[in-house]
Amino acid sequence: MTEFKMFEGCTIGNRIPFIEAASRKVFEKVGIETSQAAFSCCPDPTGMKSFDNNAWLTIGAMNLCLAEAEGKDIISLCNGCTNTLRGVQHQLKHDSLKKEKVNKELAKIGKEFKGTIDVKHFVDVLQEHLDKVKGSITKPLNGLKVACHPGCHYMRPAEWMESDDPMRPETLKKLVAASGATVVDYDELVLCCGSAVTNAYEEHGLANLKNKLDSIKNAGADIICVNCPACFQQFDTRQRDLSKKYEKEYDIPVLYITELYALAMGYSADEIGLKFHRTRLKSILEKYGL
Amino acid sequence: MSIDFEFRKLVMDFHQGSDLIKYCYQCSRCADNCPVTKVSADFYGTTGYNPRNNILNALLGYKDLIFTEDELIIWGCTVCDTCDEVCPQDIELTEIFTFLKNQSIEQGKGPEFIYSQAKAIFDSAKAIPSQPAIERRREQMGLPAIVIPDVNELQTLLKNIGAAKKLK
Repeated sequence: MTEFKMFEGCTIGNRIPFIEAASRKVFEKVGIETSQAAFSCCPDPTGMKSFDNNAWLTIGAMNLCLAEAEGKDIISLCNGCTNTLRGVQHQLKHDSLKKEKVNKELAKIGKEFKGTIDVKHFVDVLQEHLDKVKGSITKPLNGLKVACHPGCHYMRPAEWMESDDPMRPETLKKLVAASGATVVDYDELVLCCGSAVTNAYEEHGLANLKNKLDSIKNAGADIICVNCPACFQQFDTRQRDLSKKYEKEYDIPVLYITELYALAMGYSADEIGLKFHRTRLKSILEKYGL
Repeated sequence: MSIDFEFRKLVMDFHQGSDLIKYCYQCSRCADNCPVTKVSADFYGTTGYNPRNNILNALLGYKDLIFTEDELIIWGCTVCDTCDEVCPQDIELTEIFTFLKNQSIEQGKGPEFIYSQAKAIFDSAKAIPSQPAIERRREQMGLPAIVIPDVNELQTLLKNIGAAKKLK
């Protein structure tokens, strides 16, 4: 069995660890083995990259070096971290000048980027283990209507994310369907959650979020399923602000795909800390006997 | 309005060693599909955030039209990479926008959250520093403690490449 280096990322590790808890439980059920490493911030492809692109490349390469030292691939729980680590790797492999420049800096801390490991988004690893996933479902989520939101950085830019499709992604839908739940399609599937712009311009961020959530509401979804902590937080914590601003009720609960799986694999809401969600799940869980 | 040739050169150099940007024919597929343009701008891009305008002004070297009082012109980008995907000329618009944002930071401008995140990463090697309450929650949920990264190494890198001095 291959062991991955776990890259939980800053948001999941240090703010919403209940998502890591659900993810580790699901990984154990399907036989995905992981170990830890002293990774720093990936760093953020919307924050640090905008601050200083060279810093983004260099710190990203430093993290890749840690996994290279053990000869193990990285499994990331976050779209942003996956995007950074794959993007840094892609750019350094295709631009020898950049690679030379970064390695000159890394040499000062005794490291060298070689490009010998792979970085995987956990959704793609789960997809590879789909039979094992299906075999671990003991409580199929029959009837639960799920709107999927794979998130921008899971699939774009296509040249380095290499997901199934940058504008018509199917993988998350397939994973949700494997739980027994019903995937509901909606018009704005690939629309950004707007996390980055909301941090700088709340007015525009919330207007965008409204476009997204109106589409999801119109499709009649019970919950939104995500695979990125930034998207998770955008939906989970900002629906209340949206309701206030537009005087319309927005309260669709959000589940990480690994939380959804944990429920379908028989874990209780308490065991995976669903009480820490801001948008309450209680009525949905009761409705489906979870 | 004047052409800044040095700025033009920097834009061209940044674009991954390629000069695809010069093939932009202003078709506007980027703005048509931009989620922030949709909620902030009029059709011609005379207000709000407009990626098509940014590419035109970057390509022509109209630096003064990009770095104005209204930082939304640059920082309205939510980094969704949709424009990159729909561009018929394969221009990596988001890479150009990264360059514009980096330049904005060089001038000491840009949103507060960008600076506070960079500071947190410099101080703790994490964008979100560890807190005792979350550490306890991790333990209660049966999660292993986070392995502490080497802050000194990260600070050495950020100082040597000149990023540390841009912090506020």
